[in-house]
Amino acid sequence: MTSGPIPPVAREDVFPEPNLRFGRLPQYSRVGLAAVAFALRDAGMEQWKTKRFAGLVASTRAGCLATDIEYYNTVLPEGDGPPSPNLFSSTLPTCFMGEAAIQFGLTGPTLIVNDPADDGLGGVRMALGSLSWGECGTMLAGHIDLPAGPAIPGIRPRWTGGLFMVLENARDSIANGYGTLDLSDGGAVLHNGIGVAGLNELVRACLAFPRPS
Amino acid sequence: MSEVLITATASITGLGPDLDTTWRRLLAGETAVRPIRRFDAGRYPARNASWIEGLEPRGNRSLLYPLLERLLDGFVPLPPGCRLLTATTKGCIDTFERVRKGFPGAVDDIPVSGPLAWLASRLGLDDPGVNVNSACASSTMAVARAAAMIESGRADAVLVVCMDLVSEFILSGFSSLQALDPAGCRPFDRNRNGLSIGEGGAALLMMSAEKARGKGIRGIGSVVGWGAANDATHVTAPARDGCGLIQAVRRAMAKASIGPDDISAINAHGTGTVYNDAMEVTAFESVFGSRRIPLNSLKGAIGHTMGAAGGIEVAVGVRSLADRTLPPTAGFGEPMERCGFPVSPLPQPIGGRYLLSTNSGFGGINAALILKGDPE
Repeated sequence: MTSGPIPPVAREDVFPEPNLRFGRLPQYSRVGLAAVAFALRDAGMEQWKTKRFAGLVASTRAGCLATDIEYYNTVLPEGDGPPSPNLFSSTLPTCFMGEAAIQFGLTGPTLIVNDPADDGLGGVRMALGSLSWGECGTMLAGHIDLPAGPAIPGIRPRWTGGLFMVLENARDSIANGYGTLDLSDGGAVLHNGIGVAGLNELVRACLAFPRPS
Repeated sequence: MSEVLITATASITGLGPDLDTTWRRLLAGETAVRPIRRFDAGRYPARNASWIEGLEPRGNRSLLYPLLERLLDGFVPLPPGCRLLTATTKGCIDTFERVRKGFPGAVDDIPVSGPLAWLASRLGLDDPGVNVNSACASSTMAVARAAAMIESGRADAVLVVCMDLVSEFILSGFSSLQALDPAGCRPFDRNRNGLSIGEGGAALLMMSAEKARGKGIRGIGSVVGWGAANDATHVTAPARDGCGLIQAVRRAMAKASIGPDDISAINAHGTGTVYNDAMEVTAFESVFGSRRIPLNSLKGAIGHTMGAAGGIEVAVGVRSLADRTLPPTAGFGEPMERCGFPVSPLPQPIGGRYLLSTNSGFGGINAALILKGDPE
């Protein structure tokens, strides 16, 4: 992984075949949809025939603020034309999850959480709750954020980009996974019983987990 | 597993600054949908909304704060260790608009962490809280999360605060989608032609029954079932066959361990758009068959309050069960085609103990709650 701004995400980066929707999506939705696609691909779950009751949950700080700015530019009097219905359709932080639900047949609960903990783990916490309560057997959980840019200076999310992971109840899972996650009574995320302080640490712990070759 | 009580409710809507006023005016069949005066809506075909009279900004801060001040004024003391969940789709959207128009604004309020921190401080909570955004089902999902937290023993008490504002951002967007009815929202009416936007807030204190009873606190209702499902069909339009809503309602009933015959009334999402209302009727017919359960929507009266909608509907739903009366559907005149459920411009009696409340939103989201009256 390299650091720096998130490059524009093109359809070819994510889907080998032409995709009717992708080209119309703003960058926030592209980043989110790409992250979901990559997680499902890694888990061997990208292909599907019948819809699956899998949920989607992610944490965010700025949400789709970049899309809000882009849309509102079409509302302001100096805008080129009428307000854009296409952009408005993406001005909720969950909209990319709707795109992912359609693309991959995911019918579980769909939500974004704004968690002031700012450790990037709010979505993972929420997903672990859902799995433990039996709401869902599979959850795609992660984090998504893009900087607002110069249009609204001062809003700089700690984590930028999109990251999802596929979580399944350990008792039901047949996958060769990246380890076991759990929630402590105090709400800390544990990877194989060891607390992780933030999203990067969780990813590092997962990648370091020995997987069968 | 802990039973989940609702021990206190509050609401603020275009109809009134408190639940009693909103309830009284709902029963009278009134509507708060009227010409917008907060900003110039002259360029849009639909210029009406349900907005709250007399909200005044303090300095450069959002109108969300005076809305929340009014909502929480006189609210019951919160138990120690109470957790906080909020539900909003666009938070301080008016601050965003000010800043983008080049006026000074409190930029830190624009991410939802701004109002969340304000609330935690205002309420003296140790928990910094989490906001749930699930489009127009945000509050329904937040109530469901709160119920799950309590039922599983992860929390003894959760305060759910729901809120959203009327703004040009929202009005222009739904106008661009041609989803607004210039004549005002007419849920489940044959001539329905779109929604009316609204603003409002709700506060719901939910507690474990055991803990509440231990403190001598009486419940005014309970949340006994919840379910959510995505229809995975279209980003802005509902699935015509109602598959997501059907699944959400069935999951909620399974959670409550009740069947279709136990539901006494339905408070539907009822936005007044052609496709939403048709989808809901299709879904309810699939779940309830030929049963003719009283059905209503509040959105003709208080507009579509977005992230606050489900929370306000729970507050009103609990009152409906207590008073055994389903409020009228303002704006309703002539029954829509193929709807066998009784919808009325007058109050309807409720004969049982369970009320189904549903919401749906962009991104294919559907959520359902089952409320039970008279928990004691």
